Amino acid sequence: MPVLTGASGAQAAVGGPALRCTDIQRSFGGVQALKGVSFDLQQGEIFGLVGPNGSGKTTMVNVATGFYPPNQGRVALFGEDITGWSPHRIARHGVARTFQNLALFKGMSVLDNILVGRHIHMRPSALATLFYWVAAVREEVAHRRVVEEIIDFMQLQDIRYEPVEIVPLGMQKRVELARALAAEPRLLILDEPMAGMNQEEKEYIARFVLDARVERDLSVLVIEHHMDVVTAICDRVLVLSEGAPLAQGKPREAMADPAVVAAYLGQGATAGPARASA
Amino acid sequence: MFYRRAGIRHTSYRAERQLWPLPFDRALVALVFALLVLAPLYLGDLYLAGYLLPWIIWSTAALGLNFLMGGAGQIHLGYGAVMAIGAYTSVHLVRAGVPLEVAMIGGGLASAAIGIMFGAAALRVKGLYLAMATLAMQYIVDFVISHVPAISGGTQATIQVPTVRFLGVPIVGNTATYYMALAVGTVVTLFMLNARRTSLGRALAAVREKDYAAEVIGVGTLRYKLLAFWISSFIGGVVGAVLAVCYLRSISPDQFHIELSIQLVAMVIVGGLGSVLGSFFGAALILFAPIVLNNVIGSLSDTFALSISSDLRAHVPLMLYGALIIGFLLWEPLGLAKIYANVRDYFLVWPFRHARR
Repeated sequence: MPVLTGASGAQAAVGGPALRCTDIQRSFGGVQALKGVSFDLQQGEIFGLVGPNGSGKTTMVNVATGFYPPNQGRVALFGEDITGWSPHRIARHGVARTFQNLALFKGMSVLDNILVGRHIHMRPSALATLFYWVAAVREEVAHRRVVEEIIDFMQLQDIRYEPVEIVPLGMQKRVELARALAAEPRLLILDEPMAGMNQEEKEYIARFVLDARVERDLSVLVIEHHMDVVTAICDRVLVLSEGAPLAQGKPREAMADPAVVAAYLGQGATAGPARASA
Repeated sequence: MFYRRAGIRHTSYRAERQLWPLPFDRALVALVFALLVLAPLYLGDLYLAGYLLPWIIWSTAALGLNFLMGGAGQIHLGYGAVMAIGAYTSVHLVRAGVPLEVAMIGGGLASAAIGIMFGAAALRVKGLYLAMATLAMQYIVDFVISHVPAISGGTQATIQVPTVRFLGVPIVGNTATYYMALAVGTVVTLFMLNARRTSLGRALAAVREKDYAAEVIGVGTLRYKLLAFWISSFIGGVVGAVLAVCYLRSISPDQFHIELSIQLVAMVIVGGLGSVLGSFFGAALILFAPIVLNNVIGSLSDTFALSISSDLRAHVPLMLYGALIIGFLLWEPLGLAKIYANVRDYFLVWPFRHARR
């Protein structure tokens, strides 16, 4: 393989952080949602984004995935500057995400939902659609095989033909994760993957995320409110409060930071109760 | 009954994804297609040219509109104008001596080119605003066609179409025209059926359901909306060419007014958004319900010697027609195709109703 020297080739930059956000600022009208957030997400790392409600976690993810271009600051993906790119272009560069409130495609089966996740690897065309039998069937079958592997991995075999809207919520979250994995991303962003789940479902998702990191060579950015999960699976966390970074580091240390404790429990609280509740 | 799924096992992804996995459905489709192909042999000219042929042509047009409305979720109130562009382009091309095969494609391309221009303007807006933008297209195209003599020959003018050949076969008489329309209809139907199982159809469905989620998996929503406009307009242009050059054999501006667009939208909605079968059902209902109702009222008033005033006699069928559409939408908002699907689902497990399908 020729060695790429320019900054344009993704290969050239391998070795840098998976995601580097530098001094990100973003405001909506008069509300400043992000006030200079910087962090590096190292390759192969599971990085947690935590903070009270309204602290800018989802806004941060929306900036990183291109939905809201930052007012100021740079976003770099594996060393490549992606600031201001459109979401679908960022997706083609190896970023997949799930949404806080599920964003599955109603009216399609679980299988079709996951197949859409293969979109960036497929070549959709009207002519291939018309001449399906000669032009599209081989591609469809090849991608179906990949999707079936993911269905096995995520244990969705029983529900693959069900319309996605009749599947229970816990399973829908799993389908969305499967759809994100189907794109074979290098960076996976999970926005509250365990919201509204019971203990068993949470453990399943945590296991899938940990397995996916190893098997699929992933870096993971995860927003999560369940502190037990965060401390269990995250290598490092960034705590946000009102759009500003409070602390960064290993989960337990960051959560014990006095500023973090104050943000969660109010001024004057000590570190003791915070740790107990975590 | 005859729908039996028990014992049908697919052993390859390809077999599982075929258009009609159940043998009964395949046989039914084959039977209906054979009946359509053989129709000129057993149907009189009146029924062939007066009922079957328009039904095929309007069903094809409804399919093209359904690709946009049901497939990609973009409303279009100017589809009649799209067909007009294709019709006028192909008529002029044919009159200039261009072969029909090329003229049809040319009509489709002209419709697609102009349709996508309005589509691009419309893509900044959604829902009702898109409806208004496409409605504007209808009026602008109407106006341009009737007021530019080079296109229409004048507001009242009718342009005659010379005899044309398709692949060497002269398109004269009802039978040749019928097969022409059936061929185009079959191609469009196959395209629509396949679109449900290829990456193109899935990407469009993703854009329709949740455009931000489609973006995040790499589907450029603007590009795919434009593509849907392009394909849908292309189909509309080709159908317009078939309608004007092969069926009507003459063309005048008043054939493509807003009423036509509204009728097409009604066909799609009554038939079932996104349903291939529904487009055929919807076209049949919208085309034939007024005729059937008219005949029924007529024979009723004759047999019972009712003294219905001619005014009432003329309006009752229209009122019933409107009530029928409202009734269908209230009873089954997903359209005639859904009614068919319900019946089919019932028979899938009949007589074991306790068995979930």
